[in-house]
Amino acid sequence: MTKETQQRMAVLQGTLDMLILRTLLYGPAHGHHVGKHIQRTTNEFLQMQHGSLYPALHRLEKRGWVVSKWETAPDRNREFKYYRLTEKGRKQLVVEESQWKQMAEAVARVMWPAAEES
Amino acid sequence: MKWWQIKKRNADLERELQSDLELEEEEQRDLGMPNEQARSAARRAFGNTTLIREQAHEAWGLALLERLGQDIRYATRQLWRSPGFSVVVVLMLALGIGATTAIFTLVYDVMLRPLPFAQADRLVTVEEIAAEWSNIYPTLPVSANHFTFWQQHNRSFDAMAVMRQGSLPLGAEGRPLQVGVLSTTPGIFSVLQVQPSLGRAFNVSEAQPGNDHVAILMYDLWREQFGSDPAIAGKTIRLNGFPYTVVGVMPRSFRMPAVQTLATIGDTNRPLPIGILEPLAFSKDDLAEEMGDLNYFGLARLKAGVSVAAATADLDALQHTISVNLPADEKATLSIALTPFQQQLVGNNRKPLLILLAAVAGLLLVGCVNVTNLLLARAVGQKQQIAVAAALGARGAEMLRMALRETAVLAVVGGGLGILLAAAIVPAMQRYLPPALDFRGPLHLDWAGAGCALFLALLATLLAGAAPAWMVSRTAPLEVLHSEARLASEPRASRRIRRILVGIEVAVSVTLVLMTGLLTASVVKLMSVDRGFTTERTITATIDLPMQSYPDKQHRVAFYREVLGRMDRLPGVESAAITSVLPLTGDSWGDMARVDGDTRPVTQLPLESFRWVSPDYFSTIHQQLIAGQFFTSSDWGKSLALVSQKTAKTLWPGRSPIGQHFSRGDPGEKPFTVVGVVADAHTISLSKPDPMLIYVPYWYRCEPGAGLIVRTRQDPAEMADAIRKTIWSVDRSVPVPAVRALGGVVADSVANQRFEMDLLLLFASSALFLAGLGVYGVVTYSVVQRSREIGLRIALGAQRASIYRLVLRDGLLPVALGAIAGIALAFGSARLVSSLLFQVNPYDPALAFAAVCILILVGTTACLLPARRAAAVEPMQALRTE
Repeated sequence: MTKETQQRMAVLQGTLDMLILRTLLYGPAHGHHVGKHIQRTTNEFLQMQHGSLYPALHRLEKRGWVVSKWETAPDRNREFKYYRLTEKGRKQLVVEESQWKQMAEAVARVMWPAAEES
Repeated sequence: MKWWQIKKRNADLERELQSDLELEEEEQRDLGMPNEQARSAARRAFGNTTLIREQAHEAWGLALLERLGQDIRYATRQLWRSPGFSVVVVLMLALGIGATTAIFTLVYDVMLRPLPFAQADRLVTVEEIAAEWSNIYPTLPVSANHFTFWQQHNRSFDAMAVMRQGSLPLGAEGRPLQVGVLSTTPGIFSVLQVQPSLGRAFNVSEAQPGNDHVAILMYDLWREQFGSDPAIAGKTIRLNGFPYTVVGVMPRSFRMPAVQTLATIGDTNRPLPIGILEPLAFSKDDLAEEMGDLNYFGLARLKAGVSVAAATADLDALQHTISVNLPADEKATLSIALTPFQQQLVGNNRKPLLILLAAVAGLLLVGCVNVTNLLLARAVGQKQQIAVAAALGARGAEMLRMALRETAVLAVVGGGLGILLAAAIVPAMQRYLPPALDFRGPLHLDWAGAGCALFLALLATLLAGAAPAWMVSRTAPLEVLHSEARLASEPRASRRIRRILVGIEVAVSVTLVLMTGLLTASVVKLMSVDRGFTTERTITATIDLPMQSYPDKQHRVAFYREVLGRMDRLPGVESAAITSVLPLTGDSWGDMARVDGDTRPVTQLPLESFRWVSPDYFSTIHQQLIAGQFFTSSDWGKSLALVSQKTAKTLWPGRSPIGQHFSRGDPGEKPFTVVGVVADAHTISLSKPDPMLIYVPYWYRCEPGAGLIVRTRQDPAEMADAIRKTIWSVDRSVPVPAVRALGGVVADSVANQRFEMDLLLLFASSALFLAGLGVYGVVTYSVVQRSREIGLRIALGAQRASIYRLVLRDGLLPVALGAIAGIALAFGSARLVSSLLFQVNPYDPALAFAAVCILILVGTTACLLPARRAAAVEPMQALRTE
């Protein structure tokens, strides 16, 4: 699904959940908003696939990490499906974050051993 | 997740995607894009919405369900397009599954379903074995004397009881009703671990003569005859003419199988269902009989953890003690036979039921094989389609799914119809249950049966779908797509499979036809056996005299004499007689005859079956007199006897029995004088000649229960009422429940065999039909495939006759091979059926030949239609259709 010719990457498998949860930490948001935010924050480096975003949101909802509600957007006269982080979701975010940190550190240690020594 | 929830979630997802899509579009527009471009850019950014939907479903855990739904929809659409094929397959499966399920339900109910008692596996029946008589009676019912001894000394049983089933008149003057009565020792409640739901059980003192006029009603009788009177306990009913106090009512769920003792063992007629329990009280005389009174059905509950073998050893030791202490003239070597209750009830019904099950499974197999054949032909027809799918990269698992989904839908629909069919058939099989096993209440299709049907449907899917699936999985797309479709003929492998399949169904059909032939021949022989008596224009009635008004022989004899006298004067009556037991309804009285000068102990004396009869008995049923004469009314009071040929030959070998004397055990009694010899007959079982029989006049002995036989000059059916009225003209309080033609009694005695024959006939003809259909299908298919070749042959000068030969040879080869295999199969299992046959050799060459001929005939008929079609091929047309 990744087009290698583009200087963009699909979100790494397994990190999408974390990114969504982190994004929702700012407050409730609808699917489009979440996707746009991730894309914009990474300077369009991470390409959000809608095909994985919506299933991921639904998966998180099924696990009870987020709840959804149809609400009218403040600036528009239309209803969007807003996702909101739950207490369980917050805890999950902490867990995933620390896991990711450990993972990144481990990868770093292998890739740049010198940096570790200095 | 329920489907409406799925629907709701789908709508929700749709709405979410839509709103976000619109947002994206707006944003694009805000960037300055024109409307049209903005929309398509938004679409592009979103990508494949179907994929999103599918992946969301996957997140919900719905993917599997969805794929299944897709498969079902697809298969249904495919099948809808060829309704003829679908209907035929579904009907074949429904028939096979329905019939198999119905028979399975019967077998399950009879042999496998636990008896409706607590810890039923600890219930055993108790029988005695006397080595001296074991050649005639392998086992004997229990004697009161021995039972009492076991009850006091055994270490293996929680409880024991002995019982006897009979029928007695219930009710007073004018409204006599014959009800089944179980006389039982009070232990039965502990043995079966059941208590009356109303009132109480019998206590020990009620098993004493004089205190025994108490009764416990069965639920159904209580409901029907006493209007479910809740205050019935303590009320008085009239049983056998005597007042009985009702002490309880059994729970609705309590069901008691009919208990068989020697008196009823040969009786294939339905005993009256038990309506009343009464205490079995042994008199001092009963208890004193050390080697007589072997009359009771013994039932016992094993202690927990005690095996049947251990209990047998325990009782055998007690039997040894009894044997040692027997008086010199009654010496016998006693042992015990314990049988699990259920096994005892199933008895010799086991084998016929299993054979029926095997036969119906054979029918199902033939049906499945036919379905396989049809599916194979279909798979070959869809080869192109499959090859395209394979070329487009369908994975192996997907191809298999593709191949099996139609079969699965067919099997599910067929199985569903099969369950409906079974549900309709099963209740009708109730009357074919062996009497001893027909006690659980109405037979119906239950979960076990439905489970069986489901399992069969699954099995059918795998069986019938396997070959086509194999074909599909081996499809090499390149080969198929390269070859020109019209020229493609059936692959050799699939043709071989189809022929083998035809061979299999022919083999199974031949076996079924042969079995049916054997059983039919057997029943025909059984019905036409020289039974030694005739049944034309003869009707019978059973009579139970109330003990209260007929306490002794004198009263009963007077009653019968009066009835017979009035009967003789009835217009249309040729003759009338009374007998202790009607032909083919059992054997009631066994006794030992001591010929003058024989001094052996009683137990070594020859054992005979005794009957008491009125003088006209023999002329009424047309039993032939061989020597001497019948007794007549002018012999009133004399101790005379008639003996059967077999008795005469055994007791007085080489001598004329006429004028000889013999006595029954009792030395004080006046000996009998033999006045005549009657022909041997088949009055106990049609399938074997009677044992030694001795007939004594009814003025010598006359019991309350008897059978009346009347030979008429007109249609006996018209006489039934007159007979009842005549009996009631003598005494209104005598119940006459059933008036039946003697021919009906005879036919009923082979009802089980007839039932088996009827079912086998049905299965065999269905299998034949299906086999014919199978042959027809295969041959027609191959003719269509080879029409170019046939056209070429005709163009080159082949005669139409040789085309016929070609097709017939092609079609009949698997039939012939299958038939041979089938005969081999039938002969291989001949030993299984031989015990069910009567005067028919299971290897009967004529029947085997006939079975093969029938199959060849069916096969030929099935080949002729396609052969005609082949011979009619127009060469020009066949060759031109490139």
